[in-house]
Amino acid sequence: MSRFLFVVPPFFGHISPTLSIGSSLIARGHQVKWIGITPLAAKHIPEGGEFIYPEAELAEHQEEIDRILKRQDDGPACSGPEVMKLALEETYVPFAKIMMKGLGNYVDEWKPAVIINDCITFAGALCAHIKGIPSVTTTPVPPDVIGDTQTSAPKIFEWQQQLIKGLQQELGIYEDDIFIHSHKLNLVFTSQVFAGFTEVPPHMKFVGPVKGRPNHAAFDWERLAAAKTPKVFVSLGTLLVDIRAAFFQKLIDAFADQPVTIIAATNPDIFDVWPDNFIVNSFVPQTELMPHMDAVICHGGFNTVNDTFTNGLPMLITPIAYDHFHTAKLIVNAGCGISIRYKRLKIAELKSAVFELLENPQYRNAALKIKETFIASGGNDKAVQLLEDFAEAEQLVEKNN
Amino acid sequence: MDAIATNKQLNNDEIFDLMKQFITEVIGEEFVEEMDITPQSSFTKDLEMDSIEIVSFSEKIKTHFGEQIDFTGWLSAMDLDQLINLNLEMIINYIHECQLSR
Repeated sequence: MSRFLFVVPPFFGHISPTLSIGSSLIARGHQVKWIGITPLAAKHIPEGGEFIYPEAELAEHQEEIDRILKRQDDGPACSGPEVMKLALEETYVPFAKIMMKGLGNYVDEWKPAVIINDCITFAGALCAHIKGIPSVTTTPVPPDVIGDTQTSAPKIFEWQQQLIKGLQQELGIYEDDIFIHSHKLNLVFTSQVFAGFTEVPPHMKFVGPVKGRPNHAAFDWERLAAAKTPKVFVSLGTLLVDIRAAFFQKLIDAFADQPVTIIAATNPDIFDVWPDNFIVNSFVPQTELMPHMDAVICHGGFNTVNDTFTNGLPMLITPIAYDHFHTAKLIVNAGCGISIRYKRLKIAELKSAVFELLENPQYRNAALKIKETFIASGGNDKAVQLLEDFAEAEQLVEKNN
Repeated sequence: MDAIATNKQLNNDEIFDLMKQFITEVIGEEFVEEMDITPQSSFTKDLEMDSIEIVSFSEKIKTHFGEQIDFTGWLSAMDLDQLINLNLEMIINYIHECQLSR
């Protein structure tokens, strides 16, 4: 049995799939821990696992961490090139520097066999490289979001390379290669078909959506069962706090008194009164809810996208920032949904798009095709098998050296 | 509409009006009405053009001016700060220069 250490960012969408595979690894008898830059509530951690928050080593960085987290609220108001800067230069690189000390100390103490870093949590792969520990990367979103900048935007490519090499040199890595991701195994939680890849580098494995993380959210199932109109699930994810009220006001304007039931995952406190056909909860058991839905509206958070097509449902995606536009393009390419950019969203269009998704079977049929590619990718079982084979192969290499 | 590449040289005001027309076609009249588009309007910040909209804007320029203006090539040579600060005036000047150097 092996020790696996997940290195995760303070963004739940990125942590979520690692909790699901972690849970499967624990069930197979492995030791699994997570390490992050902010604490994670115990209810999210699979039984038998542990979340490490190296408080002592992070203390001197607390102000900077808070400032960077607050800065994420600006994302929705930023233009594409500004978001690139915000993400790489102002978030991922500084987080990597901040995490190194606490991570390094913990790795020395616990001695994991494999370090698994989330794709935006560079510290994991860099620490593994420095200490000679085998590493794997997890990628919750379809990769290649920015596109091939080397040929399409050489100056932007150069900027990315310089930032990452600067980070590596600061940590004492002077080789010319890039080490922020594993060169040996990268688990991607979507299907190759949906991600639009015809050729894939051998270390990149599309395992499809994974499930099984703990979610104990309560839900009024009787009220849902009593609803007789088509059911539309709406989620804005865990970020994007500032635009929440504006987003849901548009939904109310479009669907109050319409023959649909809206099931919304958001804090009900943003409005005093909700229309009768809106069922609103801060936290929902999304995986259990989804099979009861007829369509989904979301901004493009990847876990909701996965839950949607795992159930073969059509989606209205309203991309706001970050990688949402790339995801929206993939959905339109696959024919399994409609994309309306949030900033250009009109009430009449919102309404007609949702009824089009409910009434025109072409979207649901395309969604069912994506569902098949997801199932064929293997999910948890495939991810666990790849991780076990990797750990075993790396341990053999070590013994022979 | 603008299927034939035009050979007529436009002055800066005419280029500005044409750009405004393209922007309206791309993002919709309803959203343009809420904006005060000037040569100083920043492309990404004020007009909030996303990558898909910029691509369709580029296509309109290509259809209108033909090979004489390589707008996409011009954009792709920019660094991040140049893209962030890109405004209509810079585009107008670029088109103007391309016309002169023909």
